[in-house]
Amino acid sequence: MIIVLLICSEFEFRNSGYRLGFLAIDSLFNANDGKMKIKAMLPATLTSVITSGKIQNLGLIRLLDYTANDIPGKSEEKYLIVTKCEAVAPALDSVIKAEIKASNGIMLKSKQDFVAKSASQIINEQRGNAAPAARMAMTRRVHPLVSLNPYQGSWTIKVRVTNKGVMRTYKNARGEGCVFNVELTDEEGTQIQATMFNSAAKKFYDTFQMGKVYYISRGSLKLANKQFKTVQNDYEMTLNDNSEVEEARNEEAFVPETKFNFVPIDGLGAYVNQKELIDVIGVVQSVSPTMSIRRRNDNEMIPKRDITLADETKKTVVVSLWNDLATGLGQELLDMADKHPVIAIKSLKVGDFQGVSLSTISRSNVVINPDSPEATKLKSWYDSEGKETSMSAIGSGMSSSANNGSRSMYSDRVCLSHITSNPSLGDEKPVFFSTRAYISFIKPDQTMWYRACKTCNKKVTEAMDSGYWCEGCQKKDEECSLRYIMAVKVSDSTGEAWFSAFNDEAEKIVGCTADGLNELKSEEGEVNEFQTKLKEATWSSHLFRVSVSQQEYNSEKRQRVTVKGVSPIDFAAETRLLLQDISKNKTSH
Amino acid sequence: MDTSSPSAFVNGALLGRLAGRKVRTVVQVIGSEIGSVVGKTTDDVQIFVRGSSPAPLTTYVEVIGIAESDNSIRAETWTNFGNTFDPQNFNELCKLANGEFKHLFM
Repeated sequence: MIIVLLICSEFEFRNSGYRLGFLAIDSLFNANDGKMKIKAMLPATLTSVITSGKIQNLGLIRLLDYTANDIPGKSEEKYLIVTKCEAVAPALDSVIKAEIKASNGIMLKSKQDFVAKSASQIINEQRGNAAPAARMAMTRRVHPLVSLNPYQGSWTIKVRVTNKGVMRTYKNARGEGCVFNVELTDEEGTQIQATMFNSAAKKFYDTFQMGKVYYISRGSLKLANKQFKTVQNDYEMTLNDNSEVEEARNEEAFVPETKFNFVPIDGLGAYVNQKELIDVIGVVQSVSPTMSIRRRNDNEMIPKRDITLADETKKTVVVSLWNDLATGLGQELLDMADKHPVIAIKSLKVGDFQGVSLSTISRSNVVINPDSPEATKLKSWYDSEGKETSMSAIGSGMSSSANNGSRSMYSDRVCLSHITSNPSLGDEKPVFFSTRAYISFIKPDQTMWYRACKTCNKKVTEAMDSGYWCEGCQKKDEECSLRYIMAVKVSDSTGEAWFSAFNDEAEKIVGCTADGLNELKSEEGEVNEFQTKLKEATWSSHLFRVSVSQQEYNSEKRQRVTVKGVSPIDFAAETRLLLQDISKNKTSH
Repeated sequence: MDTSSPSAFVNGALLGRLAGRKVRTVVQVIGSEIGSVVGKTTDDVQIFVRGSSPAPLTTYVEVIGIAESDNSIRAETWTNFGNTFDPQNFNELCKLANGEFKHLFM
């Protein structure tokens, strides 16, 4: 990246000036590097550095990122659009004058050294009649990925597909569609994610092939959504129908090797349920047949296959392969399982199923018998001693209770004050606790249920004539069922808290279904059975499994405690827990 | 609450130390003879509980009465405690109530 030192002069502030692309231009200034002068613009996002006085008139700034563009509707002049800069020195005494003449043609050097030659010149010199893609490479300047930003005009990049997602379908208020994305890596190893929707997705799905190299132009960039970003890049790319994607054939394709950062199997414990994705390498011990798993959120059946991997730490771990990896690559692995191949997998999620287990996600990448020193070393270890060594599953070494269901209720036990005294609990991601508490209040006049579709449990609306319309199923039903969504107040010896409870959990708390409670409510009579039912539910104690998360409400963050499970108190077990606490307290005093 | 004649929580080991005092314990019934029940305390000591027991008895029974010796109690009150009592918990309670936390109990 070329760094240009500029002296700013004659700032001109514009309040919400005009917009250029996504960039709201807020201030104009003349930039002067001692030899030349050019009009330059700072976007609104950088206004604060001016108003704070960091950049002043006649100040010296260093440009870190910029583009030079024609501005529609302005004169022939080029404008410098600064996207990143820093102040180097405060205001100088005067403008440095070395025969400054405002130039028409811009003389700033482009960010990359590029020798302009005519297309025919290059073709004659180098390729004769090469493939169009090759010519494209010659005649167009190939931008490094790192230089792309949303404010740039045309560019061409040369990238390798280092990860190809599967085609996914979605449904939202505006209808149905499909989407898929690829991860692109250029020669320098910079990565970016490119997303294609609907027709563009269909158009390019077959074009993009894992591991091949392409020239791409006419895509648009936007800021990457941090929540979903999987590669290190501030921007992400969207390709539409008009985008150009051409495979770079007949060229020596560069190979940015998939960079692995292997975690030894016995070190996986630290990553359980973390956001971070990990890479593993291991010897295949066994491969299961495929199973079909019904996904909870949309009832779709998806194929899954479990493989067991071992490494030099003498531990094994189960990796669940999903979707295409289960059927395609999984079958391949099953066929060669007796040869115990080494496989390397990039981007796996670490879960707590069976203590510790790994799971592929859509961008996981599996390489069978990779050609790497790690693989060679592992293979020779396995052949010489690993084969005979007895190994244990990494999960079984974890807390013994982790393997049975009791873990959820008797570990991570806290009292209510632990949750309420820390308002930022669950800020990063939801945290789970178990707590034993009494229901102390159920507000009788709250909206405690909603009308739900009998098939998918989603909210239904009353249809025009009769019956209920389900947006999720896209159909009408004569009947609907009520499902709880209620707030309950709970108390223990340390304090009180409000919990949100959904249908199954609320049913256990109240002791009847929402439909049943609604019936009681509509009954008239001297004794209000509805009130009685709620009173009966109060002052009984339960063991709650809760998640604590942060929710934004009117731009204010709030803690939300959701009941994930309710079970009756097992007094003997609770007593044992109390005895444990007493002996813990004794030793700590 | 009647505090005039408190009864101490005991297991088999503690019984002998409190001879002549009013005690309460929980035993697992292992047999009965005329006028007495043979029971196993929560720390695995076999004791005799004398007196007329109500019928039928569940597996675990709480008895309150006077400690006669290190292996017998003259029972005044019998209470069925069901078949799923946790003897370890009760045993720990006895130890705590006669040891470090004695001051909390009557």
